[in-house]
Amino acid sequence: MAEESVSEATKYFRKRKMEHRKKGGKGKKKQKGAPFSEKRVKIDNKMKKLFEKRARDYNSDNEDDNDGEPSPVTRAKRTAYGKDKPKSYGKEKPTSYGRDKSTSYRKEEEDFDEEWADDGEEDLNEEIEISEDEDGEVQPGITKFIDGCNAFRLAFKKIQKKSASDDILGPVLSAHKKLVAEKLAEEDVERKVKGEAKKEKHLIREKGHEKPANFLDTYEKSLIAVATKGVVKLFNAVNKAQHAQKGLNPSRAKDEKVIKKRRREVFFSELGKAPSQTTVSKAGACNFLEDEGPAWAPLRDNYMLTNPKLKDWDKNPDTTVDDDVRMPADSDSSDDE
Amino acid sequence: MGRFKSKNRKPFVKQIAKKTPTVDHVTGDKIPKSLVFSRGKISGPLKQLQMDLRKLMLPYTALKLKESKRNKLKDFVSLANGMMVTHFLILSKTDSAAYLKVAKMKHGPTLTFKIHKYSLAADIAQSQLRPRCPPDLFKNPPLIVLSGFGTGEEHLKLTTFIFQNIFPAIDINTVKLSSCQRIVLLNYDKETKLIDFRHYSIRLQPVGVSRRIRKFVQNHQVPDLRSLQDVSDFVTKAGYGSESEGDDEAATVNLSSDIGRVNRASMKSAVKLQEIGPRMTLQLVKIEEGLCTGGLLYNESGNVDAKKLENEEENEQESDEEMDTDDEEELEIEDEEEQEIEEED
Repeated sequence: MAEESVSEATKYFRKRKMEHRKKGGKGKKKQKGAPFSEKRVKIDNKMKKLFEKRARDYNSDNEDDNDGEPSPVTRAKRTAYGKDKPKSYGKEKPTSYGRDKSTSYRKEEEDFDEEWADDGEEDLNEEIEISEDEDGEVQPGITKFIDGCNAFRLAFKKIQKKSASDDILGPVLSAHKKLVAEKLAEEDVERKVKGEAKKEKHLIREKGHEKPANFLDTYEKSLIAVATKGVVKLFNAVNKAQHAQKGLNPSRAKDEKVIKKRRREVFFSELGKAPSQTTVSKAGACNFLEDEGPAWAPLRDNYMLTNPKLKDWDKNPDTTVDDDVRMPADSDSSDDE
Repeated sequence: MGRFKSKNRKPFVKQIAKKTPTVDHVTGDKIPKSLVFSRGKISGPLKQLQMDLRKLMLPYTALKLKESKRNKLKDFVSLANGMMVTHFLILSKTDSAAYLKVAKMKHGPTLTFKIHKYSLAADIAQSQLRPRCPPDLFKNPPLIVLSGFGTGEEHLKLTTFIFQNIFPAIDINTVKLSSCQRIVLLNYDKETKLIDFRHYSIRLQPVGVSRRIRKFVQNHQVPDLRSLQDVSDFVTKAGYGSESEGDDEAATVNLSSDIGRVNRASMKSAVKLQEIGPRMTLQLVKIEEGLCTGGLLYNESGNVDAKKLENEEENEQESDEEMDTDDEEELEIEDEEEQEIEEED
């Protein structure tokens, strides 16, 4: 509110100024000549000093603590109020000061009042006269202008202090404000509850889901090493087995006999150095001897017949289970032919 | 009217599915096929995991299997009979954890794993600086390595057996090394009794060749020689870092045939693995005799005999479920919850 009034006041001043400028030097002269217009148009240094002096006097008179020098805004305000509503104030509020004090105050202010509008001064006089008429009798609901002004000043200052700091909702009626605040709080609580429920749901959904780290820790490395070992074992076995049949196609009938012959040779040569062999190549080697049917599968007798061993898996468990790393080929390939 | 309407409509063409062979042409082995699907409602990340598992099971799996809420296990079984499917991988979820069931068609057994932790393939790709995915990575079945399962316990033997047969067997006489592109590792930890499930891609690199030369051969690109004084520098100067990694003796192999342009049979090659995900930490909870039914062969809590009576009751319940298919889902979940309570006890 205060700010608005300030801006209005400044606007007003500016407007006036503009008008005067249009008129030119004459207008300026007029301005200087008439104290009335000067007061309205702008706060010049002279006025400022005056106001400051008055404020100091105020401070010395009243025991109220006014921290900091009064701002020009309040000064402008006060002048406006002093001009417009002296009568009403004077009538409404009860007096708290003695009459002599107020008169002395008035005397102090006289130099200031001289510059005020004539009607304003008249009002003041009138008001004071009214209060004098009552002659010291303190009546409820009647205040002198100065006291009212002072009270208003205090009240206004209070409001100013308050509104500046923590009012988010803006200027609203207090009851309404409460309602709005309640509603907002309620919404907040609701939102919180909803958010928590959502979070819980999300947690349940993502249960067990883990994002892997960007680096390989020792455990992952050991797993990779195990897998690598397996791959190397298989590749070596394949290399050993296929070394014999290089350049021949096992699914061609032409190569079949040659392959079989070579395989047998390899098998017998390997029998000599048997102890150094791995279980894998043994399984492979056993294959060669048993392999009596044609090399191409569709020509064999048991083609497309299911592996009988798969059915009674639990009756005679595999013999090769207990070696650490294995390929699917080992046990199976030894089984099926 | 009809004339204008049907302008954009294409004539219906019945898609003839490419028939995947049920037996290997060279070795004559039966090729195991699998279906990966879920029972009950599963969350978003688990759906991703299901997709990753399907990719892992390629090429002998239904990558685009559509399932609806109303599908019962029976439907999948009948489908599997027609398609010669041999294995089921079933994902399900309760409030406490997700579960993976690995079942053999048609008569079981069924292994139930509790998924303690999992990471998706996307997560793993995100964590890597250069995720690798060559175009033909998923065209061949992966190898499988089972490690630490040789403790002699019955249920572990059964687990190894099931997992060995989930992928086609490799005949070392006829296999092409270029078809070995991926590897699945199952590592059993004796102390924690958890199984680590990992999926890696296999890459081969020639040993003893500088990085520059290798890249030069691989990339077909003219190398940048601006900083060099002489052409010989390009060959003789050592590259930066990471050379020592390949020198690990244990990881080098002799190849039986050439693989690609770089890996020659005459040279030694280093095996390098890079994870492609998904990654799972599993715990074997129970083994059932039948296909998601039947008596318990193994229970995580151990005392199978004491619970035999209860199990038989459960069996009856489950057989009821099969009849009364609408309630199957809920009952199953309840069963699992019961199981968990039992575990806690």
